[in-house]
Amino acid sequence: MSTDSFRELKAATGPAAEGQLARSSTAGQAPDADATPSAGTGTTQPGSRPAGRGKKPVRRKGLSERNRPLWMLIPGGLLMFVIIVIPLFLGIYMSALNLDQYTLRKWVSAPFIGVDNFVEALTDSPLLHSVWLSVSYSLIAMVVTLPLGIAAAVATQNAFKGRALIRSIFLIPYVLPSFVVATVWRTMFQPDGVVDSALGTFGMDGGLWLNGPQTYWTLILVQIWASWPFIYLLALSGLQSVDHEVHEASALDGALWWNKLRYVIFPYLKGPLALAFLIGMLHHINNFTLPFVLFGVPAPADVEVLPILTYVTSFQSFRFGLSAAMAFVSLVLIAIPLFIYLRAVKLDDAETPGGKK
Amino acid sequence: MRFTPSAKLAAVLATAALALTACGGSGSSSDSTGGAVDGAGKKLSVLTGVNNQYPEQQKEWFKDIAAKFKAKTGADIEFETFASANDELTRIQTSVVSGQGPDVYSLGTTFTPTAYATKAFVTLSEEDWKKVGGKDRFNQAALGISGPDAEHMAGIPFVSRPFVMAYNKDLLTAAGIEKPATTWDELAEQAKKMTNAGTGTFGLATGYKDNFDPWKFIWAMSVQAGNPLVDGTNLKMDDPTVKKAYETYFGWLTKDKVVDPAAIGWSNSNAVAAFASGKAGYLMMTTSSSVPTLDKSAIAGKYAYSVMPTTAPGETAPKGDGDKAASILSGDNVVVADYSQQKDLAFAYIELITSKEEQLNYQKIFGELPANAEALASLTDPKLQPIAEAAGKSKATPFTGAWGDIQLGLLNVTVQSIPDLANGSVDDGALESRLKDAQSKGQASLDRAAKS
Repeated sequence: MSTDSFRELKAATGPAAEGQLARSSTAGQAPDADATPSAGTGTTQPGSRPAGRGKKPVRRKGLSERNRPLWMLIPGGLLMFVIIVIPLFLGIYMSALNLDQYTLRKWVSAPFIGVDNFVEALTDSPLLHSVWLSVSYSLIAMVVTLPLGIAAAVATQNAFKGRALIRSIFLIPYVLPSFVVATVWRTMFQPDGVVDSALGTFGMDGGLWLNGPQTYWTLILVQIWASWPFIYLLALSGLQSVDHEVHEASALDGALWWNKLRYVIFPYLKGPLALAFLIGMLHHINNFTLPFVLFGVPAPADVEVLPILTYVTSFQSFRFGLSAAMAFVSLVLIAIPLFIYLRAVKLDDAETPGGKK
Repeated sequence: MRFTPSAKLAAVLATAALALTACGGSGSSSDSTGGAVDGAGKKLSVLTGVNNQYPEQQKEWFKDIAAKFKAKTGADIEFETFASANDELTRIQTSVVSGQGPDVYSLGTTFTPTAYATKAFVTLSEEDWKKVGGKDRFNQAALGISGPDAEHMAGIPFVSRPFVMAYNKDLLTAAGIEKPATTWDELAEQAKKMTNAGTGTFGLATGYKDNFDPWKFIWAMSVQAGNPLVDGTNLKMDDPTVKKAYETYFGWLTKDKVVDPAAIGWSNSNAVAAFASGKAGYLMMTTSSSVPTLDKSAIAGKYAYSVMPTTAPGETAPKGDGDKAASILSGDNVVVADYSQQKDLAFAYIELITSKEEQLNYQKIFGELPANAEALASLTDPKLQPIAEAAGKSKATPFTGAWGDIQLGLLNVTVQSIPDLANGSVDDGALESRLKDAQSKGQASLDRAAKS
């Protein structure tokens, strides 16, 4: 999962950021800052990326819009259709079927039961509880990782001896596969394990980490540990896009570090961080490996997050129809706030570079 | 076990699944009793679990069997392996939906009812049974989970993997115990004698966080008290016998204090490790697969296996089928796909691998108990005797497609009780409400099974 998001990140920040990560000390050569925010829309609208690459997208818009070679979208569009749209509609169709191990063999002719699965998902299953758990845990983890990531990025912005090493070390949690992270933490959190005995030396009783109410916080803690470098990476790419002249100008104006950070640097970070927030939230909500390996199934009721619930419904109870309905309901529930968020931070709006102001 | 980037796809993708007690085998070698099948120029496709413990030997075995099969029928065999239960379920799902794929599958026993419910595998007729060497060649107990009744069987037993307990001979002798316990009450008494918290020695080693063990205890104690859990279309999980079983199982930790308190975080392998270090009198719910580990440990030569108790807690003798419920019926079955175009060839292959000779050969290489009755009876290693005995005293879990859900419900009661276990006692009301919850979910699942 982590490699995927790294790819997304690269795609999102475009070739500019990629180049900068490679030769981070030559920040002065950073191309037009427009590249970051407008390219950010690349994840939602792949077609608009060529416009973001240009130096002055706004002025060239008229021309490029007149002769846009839209047909070039066909291969990509076709793939999207096959890989995303068809399964999505199949999923919606499945959610209206009474599809289980008894009907799987001829699944197309499984009994059609309309909205029954949706009714059961909403009234007679832990779905809403799971949505609440997923969203709240994702949000808490996100709110904690944001300052951590920014602080780490700011701390490694200026050159110092051993910076490259520190930067590499910061990325370790992000590079490790989720499975490994979860296995290691699971071992450390065992009753009488490393964590408990470490707390014991301070006279504290850690309690149960892998069962009971505390599991919720265990999940958040491990998620934070695993995902803050992602924020760090995006914050770093944002910092790289700050022109050398801007530093000079603020220095000439006599701005001290906090004012400079608050009024000069942070506005540059707004775009990348808004994007990081979005991608991060989606990753947390969809993170299956971490809770699955940490707690196993059946999961303690306090960490029965969405992916675990859909997994158990599909592959332990074999209620494929019901779990498709659950997945669809949660998709809608999560899509609404995301849509509002997208409008609010204007990430989906190529004309208004979100990172600028 | 990746989850797709969006929740919607999760349900769509036909990946994954637990419930399988993975592993599987395929068998080997020839005795040419079966009717000659001419398979010249044909190729049989066999899907079986990868053996992580003996990967090299497994490759050798594939080659060996393929050669013998060729000699017998003239056909080739193509072995495919799956690495996990997930892989297997994916293969089964795609094959079932598309109607093409391997001819022969290996299935874990507890997954057989679910597979049977898909109706994608051949239910053997009398004729078919003859082609695999006759029903009589198998250990009759092993047939218990091949189908819903004697006339409708799809699973052909290949190996048995019954559950037994191991005991530390030195610790038992030191505590003045002559014979391993045969009732659960006696087991707790003996465990108390061996427990010495000062030295970190405990009477029993078992993992409360294991994904399978807890429900097997509850199932065994309930069945031995006369409650089969599933009675026709009714689930009996709200029965007092089930509650008593949980109380006994939890009581080892909270009341008798004969289990290491850390066991609330243990899986079965942690329990094996504790036993292997000589810190436990009994190792519960283990199989012959623990032999290689234990023989390399500090207690090599100092342990033995025994059949687990068959008398329910609080009782003096087994009730109902209790004396036949020393273990769940566990092992691997092979099934033939309904869509297969070469079923006779498939049966000839199964006839080959379930022959006495090949079953003994397989036992020698991989340590798995034969499902072939003659082969089982001819085992002479005294260490394996109790395990062979347990194979004869294994009782099938209820044959219903709802069993996966019921098993999950039984396990879930333990999972949700672990915080209470850590605090030293499980509240009576909480236990009852968890049981009630499991009962209603399991009953709903049974109702669905009855309808289809």
